Amino acid sequence: MSTWANLGLQDSSSPLMEQLIFFHDHALLILVMITVLVGYLMFMLFFNKYINRFLLHGQLIEMIWTILPAIILLFIAFPSLRLLYLLDEINEPSVTLKSIGHQWYWSYEYSDFNNIEFDSYMIPTNELSNDGFRLLDVDNRIVLPMNSQIRILVTAADVIHSWTIPTLGVKVDGTPGRLNQTNFFMNRPGLFYGQCSEICGANHSFMPIVIESVPVNYFIKWISKNLNS
Amino acid sequence: MVFFRKWQHRPYTHVAAFHSRPLFATSRSGIVTMALRLINHALRRQLAAQLPRNAQVGSVASVHTLDKIGKREVVGYGWNGTASYADRVDYPLPPIRFREPNNEINALRVKEQGDWKKLSPQEIKALYRASFCQTIAEVQAGTGEWKMHLGIGLLFTSAAIWIAILMNLFVYDELPVTFDEEHQKAQLKRMLDLEVNPITGLSSKWDYENNKWKN
Repeated sequence: MSTWANLGLQDSSSPLMEQLIFFHDHALLILVMITVLVGYLMFMLFFNKYINRFLLHGQLIEMIWTILPAIILLFIAFPSLRLLYLLDEINEPSVTLKSIGHQWYWSYEYSDFNNIEFDSYMIPTNELSNDGFRLLDVDNRIVLPMNSQIRILVTAADVIHSWTIPTLGVKVDGTPGRLNQTNFFMNRPGLFYGQCSEICGANHSFMPIVIESVPVNYFIKWISKNLNS
Repeated sequence: MVFFRKWQHRPYTHVAAFHSRPLFATSRSGIVTMALRLINHALRRQLAAQLPRNAQVGSVASVHTLDKIGKREVVGYGWNGTASYADRVDYPLPPIRFREPNNEINALRVKEQGDWKKLSPQEIKALYRASFCQTIAEVQAGTGEWKMHLGIGLLFTSAAIWIAILMNLFVYDELPVTFDEEHQKAQLKRMLDLEVNPITGLSSKWDYENNKWKN
């Protein structure tokens, strides 16, 4: 989850998000180097007193500052495309979750087993416990097994919402009349938070998402408990 | 010599009107050539008539700027041939004098023709300032205009800071209850128990074995 004064990306809970963080750091490093170079050149213009009235061209330097950016772009493009195709890899999910966005809460369905359905509302600030996370905690969390491939189908019942968990690198728009599918994989237990990411009305900021990642046996226990209730 | 003899073999060479000959041999008839030469010279006569009669000898200043310089003398080409004064480090010799001549300057100009050691420092400076607005040192010294820009920028910055202070004091609501010390401590403890961001974030800085922050 986000901690106070968080400047960068949250730590990953998923191998794909880990790769995204690495690519982000790599591309940002290149950008910082380019920015420092250009900033230095612009700054030094203040102190340049040379004038050459007959300057027309410099073939060698023009070749260099055309070829070099092309090479730098290759260094960005290859990891980017590798990751792009990695994100679309085919895998076999073991659990399927359906997430439906409403104004202003999420509802979830586990239909692999005998249907489990529930709504997930944000806990209002005045009902929050001392250690509750304001605007993040919900009454019913999504419980999912860790170290398993999860398929999620996102849709909406009224207006467009967007289901996201930053630490898993997942963001999927839920559009009414449409099912959007994506996969994710959690490699550690814990609580993973997200917030609705498509403006959907007055309480758009107050419909968060919480995943509780548990070992498989805990998940099975939770399923059987909820099937009976 | 060889060339002259070759010329004489061509027809109508005896009608070369202006003692000039074409740069390359063409097969145009001599009458047409003569007609073209007449037209050329007529045009040049008309163009010369359009130039101002009092254009100074050796001047290449264009017509429209010559009107505006008054009695100031043209002394060179400048940077583009127009008669306008500017102090430029890349073209250090302006095309016109800076000031119009008066009696004192004219007298000094005459004195300048003689031995320069006879000119006093004040006279040399007067001669310089008649021809130039600034010295190279003055041009390169800068104007100090940046101080004005910095000052105005700081004024706006301080105004923004004042607005921020007043907004915080009088406009904004109270912070939610979760911001107080007790709630923050409880939330932090819960975050550490949940091992939030354990790789490089919050929980990676907590020593779980000894229940304290890592160094």
